[in-house]
Amino acid sequence: MFEFCVDPKTLEGISWIACYLTTPKHQSMYWSVLVVLLLIGLTAPFTMLLGFFGAWLKRSVFLPFQFMGWLYTSTVRGVPELIFFLFVPIALDQLVELIRHKIKCSDWTDAVYQGNDFVVCTAAKMPLGEAEQWVHHTWNFALAVTAFSIVFGAFAANIIDGALKAVPKNQLETAQAYGMSKRQIFFRVHMPQMWVYALPGLSNLWQVLIKGTPLLFLLGIQDIVYWAKELGGLKTQVYQYPHPDIRVWYFLGLLFFYLLLTWISQIGFDRLTKIVSKGQATMGGQAATGGRV
Amino acid sequence: MAIEDQANQGGSVLSMVDIHKRFGDLEVLKGVSLEAKAGDVIALIGSSGSGKSTFLRCANLLEVPQKGDIRFQGEAMEWKVRGGEREPANADQVRKVRANLSMVFQQFNLWSHMSVLQNVIEAPVTVLKKSKIEAEALGRSLLEKVGIGDKADVYPSQLSGGQQQRAAIARALAMEPAAMLFDEPTSALDPELEVEVLKVIRGLAREGRTMLLVTHDMSLAREVANHVIFLHQGVIEEQGPPAEVFDSPKSTRLQQFLSASASE
Repeated sequence: MFEFCVDPKTLEGISWIACYLTTPKHQSMYWSVLVVLLLIGLTAPFTMLLGFFGAWLKRSVFLPFQFMGWLYTSTVRGVPELIFFLFVPIALDQLVELIRHKIKCSDWTDAVYQGNDFVVCTAAKMPLGEAEQWVHHTWNFALAVTAFSIVFGAFAANIIDGALKAVPKNQLETAQAYGMSKRQIFFRVHMPQMWVYALPGLSNLWQVLIKGTPLLFLLGIQDIVYWAKELGGLKTQVYQYPHPDIRVWYFLGLLFFYLLLTWISQIGFDRLTKIVSKGQATMGGQAATGGRV
Repeated sequence: MAIEDQANQGGSVLSMVDIHKRFGDLEVLKGVSLEAKAGDVIALIGSSGSGKSTFLRCANLLEVPQKGDIRFQGEAMEWKVRGGEREPANADQVRKVRANLSMVFQQFNLWSHMSVLQNVIEAPVTVLKKSKIEAEALGRSLLEKVGIGDKADVYPSQLSGGQQQRAAIARALAMEPAAMLFDEPTSALDPELEVEVLKVIRGLAREGRTMLLVTHDMSLAREVANHVIFLHQGVIEEQGPPAEVFDSPKSTRLQQFLSASASE
């Protein structure tokens, strides 16, 4: 990275560390921090969307929808996440390839499932074999976001459903009595009052999501845990171990990274709680309004 | 829905004929009728479980009666049958009727996440499609009128019960309704807080507003109503002008009820 890094062996102290921490591999690790943040940033909104959709299914008066909502939340919640993170990306990947295969290679005669192998025509590969490296990375990442969203969405659906049920009936009935439509009741009264009941659960879910990001490693995405393990145990010609095994420092760094992330989010959630509980007859609401007059 | 129009016509605002309502096996209303003309103040009295609140809630269809006709300003409510149960056929019509019959609840039911002023302008803006500026101007003047003009920007949880109920009355008035439905508006209040709410209700009656009033407060019913209906076990046991109903009750049940209320 720096000009003086041509031969690190001749360097000492700060300049050696500066060179060591800016090797291409280390730069990949810094990028992977962004990957983790991007995963969280993308998963959160999709989780909320799926959460609302799941809650809507569960609350539907149409029985098949209700059943689908129940099936989604109870299966995902009942299965260990690890299994889902392994299953969803592979299943999704194969499903997409199978569909592309049926469309693009309709003249293909061989079976797709040959024993233990899953074989589709080259044109159906997703992404295509000749596609650039970043396309592959993006596709894998998209699968990871999907898997995370499906898993956390089921929890969010339960939280939102419970929170919607917790809103006092008379608040909704009053809106009805004043001529509001179902839509208006939902967006003007039901949803605004729901957050105060949903936030504690969602804040937990958010922490679990942050803490779950190292599972990316399982999906073949080189996240920060991968790099910490890799770099901590790396011995190269140019950079000799500054210490017999420095993995402990990398993991300590990770520990602080995750603590910082969860600490910042806790502050964020505390603020949100204050906002949504304004006027509500909860502890937070009373605190925010300065108590009863 | 200008108030003076109906006052001039003296036409029918609400007519409910032979209303039957049953919850499961429990028959709460067994054929109750009522006719409210513009300017009428009708008091519904009776012991707990007599069906008076349920009857009031049938007026704006918070409860759907299984049998009976409802006409609002001469327009008959449309019905359909689904799964063996009757329900309103026209959602727009239901919303129109509700917007014109503002209800004041026993437990006030102010929306807790909105300030007092937001509570008052909410339905005028979302349902009546009034501009926010116009609704706020009216809302503030109504809050002045009920004596809590200084509380416009606080949350309901910061108000006393009496103040909350007055805010709820301002919210009902902001709809400029054809008639107002009061469901035991003072029952949840301590006696000293009741006074301020009673003052507002008396004022509204003097203005000639059409009101249906379910109440336990016999002196209020006697004072403001021009017609009193005594319900007993889901039927009208006796009705008439307050002087007749309160001073010379004919049925034994009403006599018993009135002497029990007096000794309360």
